[in-house]
Formats: sequence, C-alpha cells, structure tokens
Amino acid sequence: MLGFIKKDLLMIKSNIKIFAILLLIYVVMAFQGQMDLSFLLPFMSVMIMMSTFSYDSYNKWDAYTISLPDGRKNSVKAKYLATLILIIATTIIITTLSFTISYAKTKTIDFVNITAAIFGSLFATILLQSFIYPAMYKFGPEKARIGLMTIIFCVAVIGGFIVQYVDFSTIINVLNYIQEYWIIVFLITMILMLYISYKISERIYIKKEM
Amino acid sequence: MENILEVKDLCKKYKEFELKNVNITLPKGMIMGFIGENGAGKTTTIKAILGITGDYTGEIKLFGLDNRKDDRKIKENVGAVLDDMFFPEILTPNDINTIMKDIYKNWDSKLYFKYLSDFALPRNKAIKTLSKGMRKKLEIATAISHHPKLLILDEPTAGLDPVARNEVIDIFQSFIQNEECSIFLSSHITTDLEHIADYITFINNGNIILSKTREELLEDYGIVKCSKEEFEKIDKNDFIQYKKSKYEYKVLIENRKTFSKKYKINTIDKITLEELMVLMIKGEK
Repeated sequence: MLGFIKKDLLMIKSNIKIFAILLLIYVVMAFQGQMDLSFLLPFMSVMIMMSTFSYDSYNKWDAYTISLPDGRKNSVKAKYLATLILIIATTIIITTLSFTISYAKTKTIDFVNITAAIFGSLFATILLQSFIYPAMYKFGPEKARIGLMTIIFCVAVIGGFIVQYVDFSTIINVLNYIQEYWIIVFLITMILMLYISYKISERIYIKKEM
Repeated sequence: MENILEVKDLCKKYKEFELKNVNITLPKGMIMGFIGENGAGKTTTIKAILGITGDYTGEIKLFGLDNRKDDRKIKENVGAVLDDMFFPEILTPNDINTIMKDIYKNWDSKLYFKYLSDFALPRNKAIKTLSKGMRKKLEIATAISHHPKLLILDEPTAGLDPVARNEVIDIFQSFIQNEECSIFLSSHITTDLEHIADYITFINNGNIILSKTREELLEDYGIVKCSKEEFEKIDKNDFIQYKKSKYEYKVLIENRKTFSKKYKINTIDKITLEELMVLMIKGEK
C-alpha cells in the first residue's frame, strides 16, 4: 500500500516546480489584495491530483498496477490517501501564508475570518474531489474533466437561482443551531463524503475492464 | 514435471472477438513462446493470466494456485512486462526503486541498481526521456528485481533494434539459468523465439491451433516446395496446409521423415516459425 501512495506523491513532487511558481504568483496577488489565498486550496489540490490521473491514464498504469501484488485492492485506496496527504499539506501551507500575509499587511492576524475561509475552501475541495474521483475511474480523466466543468457550471447556475428565489431562514436557523459544533459537523461531513466517494470508486475500479 | 502455469478452457467474449477454450501448460524451468498475428488473442490471454481481465470463464493456475483466490501469493512470484503499460513517464528509475521496495516483499534494490548499471540506464532521468530500447530494458529490470519465478512478457522485443534485442534475449537466458524459473513470452519476432523458446504455442483468432516443443516443430515439421502436378499427387491427409504462389506450391507437413519415405522426396526444407505462421494463417487445406 505504501508503495502506491509513494508513487502518487513522487508524481506530485515531479511537478512541484510548476505549482510552486503558481503559488508564488498567487501570493503576490494576495499581498496586493487582488485575491483571497484560501481560494487556492481547492484549485491547487484538484489540479495536482487530476494531473496524476492523466499520467496514470496515458501510461496505462491502472492495468499495470493489477500485475503487482494487491494492486487492484490498494490502488484506489492509495489515491485517496495521497489526496488526503496533499490536502493536509496544502491546507497547512495556505493557512500559514494567509496568516503571514494578514500579519504583514495589518500587524494583526484575523484568525476567525481566515479559519472560516480555509474551512469553506477545504469543504469545497473535498466536495469536488468526492464527485470527480468516481468519474475519473469510470470515464477516464478526459471525459471527467469535461464533467467537472459541467458540474461547476450547473452549480453556479443552480446557486444563482437558489440565491434569488429560495427563503434562507430555515437554513440560517440550522446553521445557527450547529454554530457551536460547526467544525465537528464539517469534519464528519467531509470524512463521510470522501468515504462514500472512495467506496464508489473502488467498486468501479474492481469491475472495470482494463 | 511440475507445471508453473496451467490455463484450462479459458473463454473470454468481447463484442467482436472471442477467446475459445484456450489451454496452455508451461512446465517449470521452460520458456514458452506465444505467437499469433495481431488481434489473435495474445494480449487478452496474458491479461487474463495476470488477472487484469477478470470477466472470463475457465481456470488459471500459477504455481498450482488459483489466480482468482491467491492473487497476492501469485503476484509476489511473477514479473510482468506488458505492451505499453508501465509507470507514469514523469517518474525516474530511482522513483521506481522507492515505490517497488514497498510493493514487493522480496524487492532487491541492489539487484535492480546492478541491472540499471549493466544496461547503462540513468537513475535520475524521467522515463519519458529514455529511448524505446532503454525503456524496455527498464521495464525488464523492474520485472525481474524481486526474484520472480515466472516472467510474463508481452512483446518485450517489439520496436527494438537488433543490438537491444540481443541484449534483452541475453537477460532472459541468464534469468532461465535458475531451473526454478520460467518465461511465458509473446512475440511477433519469431526468430528470437527460435533461439530461446522450449515450447511454441500458436494462437489464431482466439483458438490455440498448435502447442509443441521447439524441437518437434523445427525438426519434424517441414515445407515441401513442388509443382502443381507434384502437389496433386499428395494425399490430403498427409499435409496440414498449403499455399499456392506464382511458380510453386508450398506444402506444410507434420513429419519430414515419414513424408520423405512415402513420397520419395529428399529435399524437404525445415520450417521457420515465420513460415509456419504464414502457412497456418494464410494457407488452405
């Protein structure tokens, strides 16, 4: 299992320069107040992991992996664990950078707003990845990428419709009720989403004709 | 003799292609060449043996173990080189070592790096920068560095120049020095198999049409080249297939000695695997 996780992490390491340059550009933009750094979390995590799926598909890694011991069993699990490691690493980096930028600009650290923004982004990241991964395994990275664009477009359209026409008082009441426990609720929801997504991906992978 | 690989009545159906009751037996310490034209079913058979293709009927045993039930035990002892399937090309040979030592219990880093140095392969260059020959050698080094007992190779010499092919064949020959080890090898390059294979198995259109020792094929089988008049005198039961060309008939026969005695023909050529393939596929009865 460890070998399969290492494979994804080494692939990420091979492309680290590109992502470091992107990060640098966004840090400069964040310093100038042109963007919020927390937005980078879903963007970078999804981009990085999608690139690993593309390389896997191009070199038919999924078929090769089955010729290795416990390949079919561990390959999907390793992809989700590598994703978790990546999300934790990017969250730590982006949180640290956000605090640093906040301190450099105002000589104070806006803990509450930055933490809330990072948590929101973390939720979006895991939501996106939970949807994309089963699609990646089912349809391959090319088709899944088109699917991702479609999902983002639909979410934007539906979101716009909801904001205009839906009465939010019930949702606000629920949010007020869970306010004290929001971190726990968010964490449990994220873990559940990832777990369900993993189980679906695993089932797809086991039945897939390579 | 103990069998290292046994395939019994393997069937696999696709929309436009079908493997039909494929039976293969490879004894320990032997090399089996698996030949057939493109699309004959070689890769599908190999994928089934390795469990890459799961939805098939029949029985596949490696080292006496069922490949559906004892996957881990089997894979620890198998090394595979598959056509166009390998590690993502941004990784390096060094990365492969880092990964494989946590995948195989018996991964031997020293042996792996020895192969890299023997094959003059760089350790820190991405796979995508390697030539086709170097990449193939890297795939082979990866497949044999955990001391497997069986190598399963799908077209391992395809696209290689004669020098690289020769080097690769040398690797297989040194691998087989250990009599516990066997190789199941598919190839279009039949001349390579004429040198190293102990058994030849021929698949055509999803059917195994022939499986014999190399000696039986290359010593007993033969080609009679004759005129139309001479061909018409031959009993249909005494030849396998024939092919008519502009000036002569090429007739594939199973036993040169018997045929020579019966028809008093002294010049019967030995057959090459390439001629055998062409006559079996394109010939008539």
